[in-house]
Amino acid sequence: MRASTSAARAARLLRWYPRAWRSRYGEEFAELLAADIEERPRSASRTADVIRGGIVARLGQAGLGGGAPEPGGHRSSASLAALGCCAAVFAAVGGAMWSQLTTGWQWSPPGTTGVTVAMLAMSAAMLALFALAVLAVLPVAWRVAAARAKGVRGPSALFLAGLAVVVIGGRHFGNGWPGTGGHPWAHQGLVPGGVAAFSWASTLSVSSFWAHRAALAAFPAAELAWMALSPLAVAAAVTGAAAVVRRAGLAPDVLSPRVLRFETWLGRLACAAMAVFLAGTCAWVAPLLGAGALGAGGAGSVFRPGAIDVAGLAVLALALAVARQAAGQARVGAR
Amino acid sequence: MPPDKALDGFGRYSGPATLILSSLADGAKHGYALTKDIESFAGVRLAPGTLYEALARLQAQGLIEPVESHDRRRPYQLTAVGAATLRAQLAAQRRVADVGLRRLAQGWGPA
Repeated sequence: MRASTSAARAARLLRWYPRAWRSRYGEEFAELLAADIEERPRSASRTADVIRGGIVARLGQAGLGGGAPEPGGHRSSASLAALGCCAAVFAAVGGAMWSQLTTGWQWSPPGTTGVTVAMLAMSAAMLALFALAVLAVLPVAWRVAAARAKGVRGPSALFLAGLAVVVIGGRHFGNGWPGTGGHPWAHQGLVPGGVAAFSWASTLSVSSFWAHRAALAAFPAAELAWMALSPLAVAAAVTGAAAVVRRAGLAPDVLSPRVLRFETWLGRLACAAMAVFLAGTCAWVAPLLGAGALGAGGAGSVFRPGAIDVAGLAVLALALAVARQAAGQARVGAR
Repeated sequence: MPPDKALDGFGRYSGPATLILSSLADGAKHGYALTKDIESFAGVRLAPGTLYEALARLQAQGLIEPVESHDRRRPYQLTAVGAATLRAQLAAQRRVADVGLRRLAQGWGPA
C-alpha cells in the first residue's frame, strides 16, 4: 500500500479523537497508525479499537470517566458541565411530563392514591431541582459579573433574547390554555395555575404530536410556530450563557477548589432529586403500563400516560445514569 | 501512592500498562517500537488505540514521560516512579507465578 494512502486513512481514523487529544498525541499516533495500516491493510479489529479509543477519549474529556485522568480542576469542571447538561435534559423532558399532570390537577385531583403520591414526589423533586439550579448558577454568575470581561455583550444579548422569548412565549401560550392560567378554577391544583400553565407552554415542543402529522395540521399556526421556536430559544439562551462564561475567562480550571466542591455537592443533591422524580414517574406510569391502559381516553385521561411518557421515562433513566456517572467523576476530581 | 498500588486504577489497562513499562525498562521507545518490542517478548500485538490509551494514562500518572524529539514519532521513557511501580508489579506477579508453579508441581508432578 502506498504511504500516502495509509497516511490518509490514518488521518481519517484520527478524527474519532477529540481536538485536544489530537493536538497532544495526533502526530505520533497517526505515524503509528500509518505504519500499522501498511503492515495490515485490512483490519476491522484495528478500526474498532481506534473508534473505541476515540469514544473513550471523548467521554473522558466530557468528564464522564474513561480516558486518561485530567488534572483535578479540569476533570471536575468537565464532569460538572456534563452533569448540568444531563440535568437540563432531565428537566426539559421531566418538566413536560410533570406539567401534563399539574394541568390535569387544575381540573380535578387524581383519582388514585398512587398518582397522587407520584405527583407529590415529582413536584417536590422538581422544586428541589429548580432551587439547586439557582444555587449552582449563583457563584458562576458572581464570578462573571466580577470579571468585567470584554466581548460578552453579544453572547449576553443572545442569552437575554433567548430567555425573553421563552418567558414571553411561555406566558402567552400558557395563558391561552383553558386548563391552567385562563381557567376560573386556577389555583385549585397542586401548584399555582400560572406555574402549571408556564411549564406546560414552555415544554410544548416535547410532544408526541410531532409523529402525527394530521393532528399537527389541525393546530393553530401560532402554536405550531411556538413548538418549533421554543427549543431554538432555549438553545440560544444556553449557547449565550456558555459563551459569556467562556469569554469572562472562567476556564474550567480557574474556578476555585471551594466552588468546585460546592458545585459537586449540589450535583450529588441534584442526582438525588432526579432519582426521586424518576421514582415518582415510575409510580405513575408503571401500574397503567401493566394494565395496558396507556393513552386511553375518557374521564381523567389527562392522568393517563401515553407512549411519549414511556419514551420520556427511558430518557429520564438514561439522563440520571449519565448524571450519576458524571457526579462520581466530579467528586473524584474535586478531592 | 505506594508503587504496588499505582496500577490499581488502570483496571483492564493494567495488562497493557505492565507490558509498556516492561518494554521501556531497557530504554526509551516510540509507539511503533513499543508495539514491535511487546510483540517479540510477550507475543501480544497491542492495537494502536489501546496502546495510546495506556500511554496517556501512564503519562498522566507520572509513570512515563515523553523524551524531547524532533521526529514525529515521540519516544517515551520510564520515570523513577514508573520503575518502582513496575518492580512492585512484577514482584507481585512473580509471587503468584511461584505459588502456582509450586502447587502444580505438588499436585501434578514436575514439568
